[in-house]
Amino acid sequence: MAGPFPPDLHDVRHLKLKAGLLLLWALVSFGATYFARDLQVLVFGGWPLGYWIAAQGAVLVFIGIVVVYGWAMNRFERQDAERLAADAAALSDDADRPHG
Amino acid sequence: MAENNSSDTDRAYLWRLHRILALYVTGVLAFLALMTWAEHQGLSRHWIGPIFLFLTVMVYAGIGVYGRTTDPEEYYVAGRRIPPMYNGMAAAADWMSAASFISLSGALYLQGFSGTPGQAGGLAYLLGWTGGFCLVAMLIAPHLRAMGLYTVPDFFHVRFGGRWPRVIAALAAVLCSFTYVVAQIYGVGLIASRLTGVQFEIGIMLGLGGVLLCSFLGGMRAITWTQVAQYVVVLLAFLIPVSWLAYKQLGNPLAPAVYGAQISKIADLEAQLLDSPAEHQVVQTYLRRAQDFEARLRDVEGALEREREKGRERIRALRTQNADVGLIVTASRELAALPRDAAAARERWTREMRENYERARPLGGLPLHSQAYVGDPQGTPDEQRDYELTRRNFLALMFCLMVGTAGLPHLLTRYYTSPTVSAARASVAWSLFFIALLYLSAPALAVLVKFEVMQNLVGSSFEALPTWMAQWARVDSSLLSVEDVNADGIVQFGEIRLGADLIMLATPELGGLPYVVSGLVAAGGLAAALSTADGLLLTISNALVRDLYFQDAKRKASPEQRVILSKFALLSVALSAAFVAALKPSEILPMVSASFSLAASAFVPVMALGIFWRGTTRQGAVAGMLAGLGVAVYYLLSHVPAMRALPSWLLADGLWFGIQPVSAGVFGVPTGLVATVVVSWLTRPAPALPRIRSEM
Repeated sequence: MAGPFPPDLHDVRHLKLKAGLLLLWALVSFGATYFARDLQVLVFGGWPLGYWIAAQGAVLVFIGIVVVYGWAMNRFERQDAERLAADAAALSDDADRPHG
Repeated sequence: MAENNSSDTDRAYLWRLHRILALYVTGVLAFLALMTWAEHQGLSRHWIGPIFLFLTVMVYAGIGVYGRTTDPEEYYVAGRRIPPMYNGMAAAADWMSAASFISLSGALYLQGFSGTPGQAGGLAYLLGWTGGFCLVAMLIAPHLRAMGLYTVPDFFHVRFGGRWPRVIAALAAVLCSFTYVVAQIYGVGLIASRLTGVQFEIGIMLGLGGVLLCSFLGGMRAITWTQVAQYVVVLLAFLIPVSWLAYKQLGNPLAPAVYGAQISKIADLEAQLLDSPAEHQVVQTYLRRAQDFEARLRDVEGALEREREKGRERIRALRTQNADVGLIVTASRELAALPRDAAAARERWTREMRENYERARPLGGLPLHSQAYVGDPQGTPDEQRDYELTRRNFLALMFCLMVGTAGLPHLLTRYYTSPTVSAARASVAWSLFFIALLYLSAPALAVLVKFEVMQNLVGSSFEALPTWMAQWARVDSSLLSVEDVNADGIVQFGEIRLGADLIMLATPELGGLPYVVSGLVAAGGLAAALSTADGLLLTISNALVRDLYFQDAKRKASPEQRVILSKFALLSVALSAAFVAALKPSEILPMVSASFSLAASAFVPVMALGIFWRGTTRQGAVAGMLAGLGVAVYYLLSHVPAMRALPSWLLADGLWFGIQPVSAGVFGVPTGLVATVVVSWLTRPAPALPRIRSEM
């Protein structure tokens, strides 16, 4: 392969999912730590909130983000495959394969 | 995660792997039990360390030999059939370097929440090294996996074509991986020399043997399975001491859930220490020493002459009173140890002055543990500035580490080994899970150790100092130094200085655990360093051979010959990294952080744009990589003391926006983005693209 290889067009649903999760990611990491000093005032069971978010809460949210992303993408791909199979059965036409 | 392809052979393969893993974990635990029993029966400590070191390295080497291969598909991407969970484990071991295992808890201990304005850190490391995986999972890894590549520079070749994108990417990969691998080998040397009592340089060579046995023979396939084995050791070595300390202090071994109770106790102890008169004496003494050095620096030549004269005078005096030979020898050794000339004296005294000023602060210069950022937003202008700078540097460091995670070649190639795109996404999730198991405990360990030091070590007498402190101080005085500065025979908090690289390794001894646990922790640190070094060396040698040497179609060689050439490149890279590490460059963490900044600036802007923006052109990619990397390297080098020799107009004047050099990626990443977009726009092809897509 010598020539350049432009990427496939990205599915809008995938991009929306990514944008939403990235926003959450930025809020939890940059947002929460920017205001950490103000959050320190709230103390739950020995934990100052700002410290807890930076030390544990954010990491747990990161795991959540990655798991939700994987789950949602698998779901989208399954739906696409099903729709494609239905289309193919209906039209028996050559359809363009989507790609994640 | 569900497997896409659930045929019977796949399931059988997975079950076989699960069985082997269960057997291996049982084996490790049984071995620990056996060693504990042997220690109880009187096995000497001199043997425990070497036994751990030798046996673990032998296990890794055994896996490496078993997985040997010359098949390119196996050598570069492990045949692309590693199940997500195991890929996640291997990626976690690959990820958790000597820096994470050895230095992270230490950094959290020394820097508390956020570090100081001059050295941001603390929880920024924790957040940066986990949050980056969100970017890897969503923006990079599945897309790279879908393209069926072998190395990261391959992406630039396939996406942009031509020669230069790949060459620049390969050089950038070598640059940031090499900085990183030097830090790993330094860690190996540190552990091996402590564990076996050999010299630092010999320790490096021993560790290097272990690295080479795994990666030299089997490439990615062998490395993957040794990394799985190493992850188990790393995890046990981290969790056992943390749980033990938590059980001892709080009666519950689940450290991450319960250490909140100690945070407020530490805050109380800190307040007591800040009021203690003995601590004030210590601060005053350090201040006097620092001022003494400052006075000497005003007239270096004269001061050096005076110091020499003072030394000679003392020897003469000792001779005339017929003093003990030992005293005379010490005095002449001190005289000989004085700097040789004015330049050396200026360098050394400046350093010592800075160190003493550093320690001449309350709490030995450590910030309050749980306070977010130093300074005070409502305080004096100085305090406001400190607060603002700490917060800015904290966010900047976190940004560089996160974005750097998405650009480090040795991590990204890990996701090439998964069977499908969906499995690549699942692999990232598993990696983050396995990493979090350890990272959630790291701040707990820092808090528990700090409590132990403040509660038990501070206030004990110098006579009763435990022997392990002397042993560590002997390895390297920058790791640990305790000195009775105010001569009252009692240990003050300001008199203890622990290096970031020491805290984890010394935890078992500090907490009074059996020596077997010390052996296990050292074996864990060794495993962390070896696993990362394996992945990095493979990345470097592949970049050199596949992407630089064979990128011309002219050079003909069979796939087997290429693999063999890669192996020899790996050997020479490993030896040169060991040579650099033997010079003891600096602490592990700053070195590693710098390579994150480099990876972030060189790869991420162009990679993300290349994947998500069809308008990125080859020229744009080249410009973006060069500009991003150029700015980051320039900013880093401008603040290296050795570069001061260059004319000053060549260097960046001072800090830009007060951002520390390690976070150079803050400038590199936007520069790369802007350069890529602008140049791509300028060089956009005149007509609309002829075809919407080309075949894979």
